[in-house]
Amino acid sequence: MAAELLPDDATPLRIDGLTVQYGERRAVSALSVTVRPGEIYGLLGSNGAGKSSTIKAVVGLVRPVGGRVRVFGRDTVTDSLRTKAEIGYVPETSMLYDALTPREFLEFVAGVRRLDPATATARAQTYATAFRLDSEFEEPIVSLSNGTRQKVLLIAAFLHAPRLLVLDEPLNGLDPRSVRIVKDLLRRYVVEGGRGVLFSTHTMEVAQELCHRVGILDGGVLQGEGTVPELRSRIARGDASLEEIFLRLTREDEGLPDAVALLGER
Amino acid sequence: MGWREAWHLGDVAFGELSFQAVYAFRMGNVVPATSARALVPKAERRVTQSKVVVSIVLGLLAVGAAAFLHRGTAFSNALFGVPIPPTVLDTGVLTGVLTLDAAFLWWTGLQVIPALLSSAVLPVLEPLPIDAVTFRRAATILYLRLFDVPILTVLVVTPVALGLALGPAAGVAIFPGVVASVVFSLALSLLTGRFFVRRIQGARGGGGGSVVRWTLLLLWLLPSFAILGFVTAGTRFLFLLTDLAGGGASVARDLLYVAYPVPFALLSGVAAHGTAGAGLDPGAAIAVGAAVVGYLALTGWAGVWLYGEIRELGHLPVAPTAPGPLTSHRLRPQSAPRAVLTKDLRIASRTPGYAFLLLLPILDAVALGLLTVVDAPQAAAARSLALGTVTAAALLATFFGPAFFAIEVLGYSYGRTLPMRDRSVVLGKTALIALIYLVASVIVLVLASIRVFEPLLFAAFVAAELPAVVAGAFVEMGWLFRRARTSGLPVANLYSGGWIAFLIAIPGLFVAGAPLLVYHFIGLPGMALVALAELAVFAPFALGGSE
Repeated sequence: MAAELLPDDATPLRIDGLTVQYGERRAVSALSVTVRPGEIYGLLGSNGAGKSSTIKAVVGLVRPVGGRVRVFGRDTVTDSLRTKAEIGYVPETSMLYDALTPREFLEFVAGVRRLDPATATARAQTYATAFRLDSEFEEPIVSLSNGTRQKVLLIAAFLHAPRLLVLDEPLNGLDPRSVRIVKDLLRRYVVEGGRGVLFSTHTMEVAQELCHRVGILDGGVLQGEGTVPELRSRIARGDASLEEIFLRLTREDEGLPDAVALLGER
Repeated sequence: MGWREAWHLGDVAFGELSFQAVYAFRMGNVVPATSARALVPKAERRVTQSKVVVSIVLGLLAVGAAAFLHRGTAFSNALFGVPIPPTVLDTGVLTGVLTLDAAFLWWTGLQVIPALLSSAVLPVLEPLPIDAVTFRRAATILYLRLFDVPILTVLVVTPVALGLALGPAAGVAIFPGVVASVVFSLALSLLTGRFFVRRIQGARGGGGGSVVRWTLLLLWLLPSFAILGFVTAGTRFLFLLTDLAGGGASVARDLLYVAYPVPFALLSGVAAHGTAGAGLDPGAAIAVGAAVVGYLALTGWAGVWLYGEIRELGHLPVAPTAPGPLTSHRLRPQSAPRAVLTKDLRIASRTPGYAFLLLLPILDAVALGLLTVVDAPQAAAARSLALGTVTAAALLATFFGPAFFAIEVLGYSYGRTLPMRDRSVVLGKTALIALIYLVASVIVLVLASIRVFEPLLFAAFVAAELPAVVAGAFVEMGWLFRRARTSGLPVANLYSGGWIAFLIAIPGLFVAGAPLLVYHFIGLPGMALVALAELAVFAPFALGGSE
């Protein structure tokens, strides 16, 4: 179904004309993106393209200067508590209470999200066992590796079975086993209940493998959006990989051979 | 590379440390919606302001002590009602000054070292091709810059003020003691900071872990106990010193004379007024001389140790205790305000800077409660002292209120993505402040009841003041949340954020203190009415209209 025909309250995420600004610097410009039910939407972009700013605006960490963000029809600014209750979020950097243990941190998150003890415990046990986090469950987060901290954040994001997952580089630092688990989990996650996933990554292979549609950001502006075949047709190359599409649409392929050659000379 | 390069590296590292200490980006804080270019000088300004605040306190201490000693025994006779020989008076007061200098710098170090470690400024330098000597020098410069203005204040103002008040000889004579206090406090900060990282921050959760952590944290309160001890028991120490000095040769006198920092203080007292009345017989004089030499040797050793160990700050691992078997995945979620309260207590149990804030009002209550039992001559005096201590608990708990908000900086951004009302956080923090007040009050009143048994009066007093403590906390939290929402800036650690925390605590103190002021005029009912009125006024300010 086309995005514009979907009822608002069934649409996991609708971003209309989003503009984010830090002082004089505009990070995101009039961005419009829709994550449909059952969809994993990949947000791609170079460093500083505006991916994280977009995600921060969605989860309420940054207040947009223009546009609207709606989660299942609810505005993230005027109805922020309800939209936050619908979202499971994994930040780009591991923003955690370092002095707590994973159990204490999850207990805090479960309390704020008003989960009952049995549900919270069952889900924590399932995910902790799947991610092999048991031996670190009572260790302070400050002593954990980056990958393990990322696992804690992933469990916290899944703990309340949210209808929208907002994941900013969620595979950073994860071991291959955990990467595989997350990918499988996401594929199965969006099958039921009209759920959606907004997924930001630098890794083109992951996006190509996992995402139903991708949006390519450059300088805070959406340069292209669609399925990989749709984007291939846009650059008129039927065999192009997502990486080639990305480089072409962001014009980052310009001067690329020269840069590689220059490095070779050094 | 030499000292020049080391200074440059230390300077860069200090800039980054200031930046991280204030904005805590490595802890997950988000960039405020202002120009990033303005943030660095702002952070450096904030850290400088905090150093100046600490320095003003230390400077006032030195100048105040010198001014007091300048008036000499006439002033002390009028104040204490008993004659105290000038040398003994100098020794007592200067012992207090040196102890407070060391304790205050040590306490500052305890606040700063966790920020130093979490900022990871030295690990960033580790992979660079910097030789070991330059790295160590850079680390030393960075460490000293955390304390630079306060250290300079202690090293310069104390001898100069004393020199002006008691003569140049006294000023020169106190200098070794001042140096020893500075070096000892810096070494103790590093030593205890390392202990904190290894044994407390890395301690496992669950089981009896929290009991062990809180017990270990009590050790961290030694410097604050030293401060508290001299504030509350300074006069008694002076009388003890006078008695021992005038009582002839004794083991107790000699032990006191060689205990740090008494020999340094005595040196200055003797330089100003000679040995008259100080009880310095040849044996005691030799003991004092040996103690001074011994402490100076220890100072040198501590300095060398500090220089040798300081490099470790670059790669201090948080070493958890041996991994244990997982007993259960059981989660026990609580309502949002209780979840905030529990989280804060857990964070405090692994963060000495915050544990200090929780425990200080309680320990103050214990100390003053015991004093009430031992010292108060009559029931009326004991009652007044007990109620005064409850008052102190209320004011201390309120004074440290803004610091409890600072805990939010740890993972503040993540907290903002949760469906949690500001109201829940305000209620959680306020409950923490009220809890501290109640625990401290109950302790002091139980102890005071040994002396004077008036449970109804005591309970009514505590209950009448409680709404004012809550109202004071509401004022502080409401203000802090408004500030955090508009500027996106959480108050970071107490050192870098101390200036703002201090400003915000002032109106909170007024609100908490107002009912106590009217108690003597209109009694308990009036006090309760004022407190309830304050609560009615300030609760909407903190709880209304928040998302």
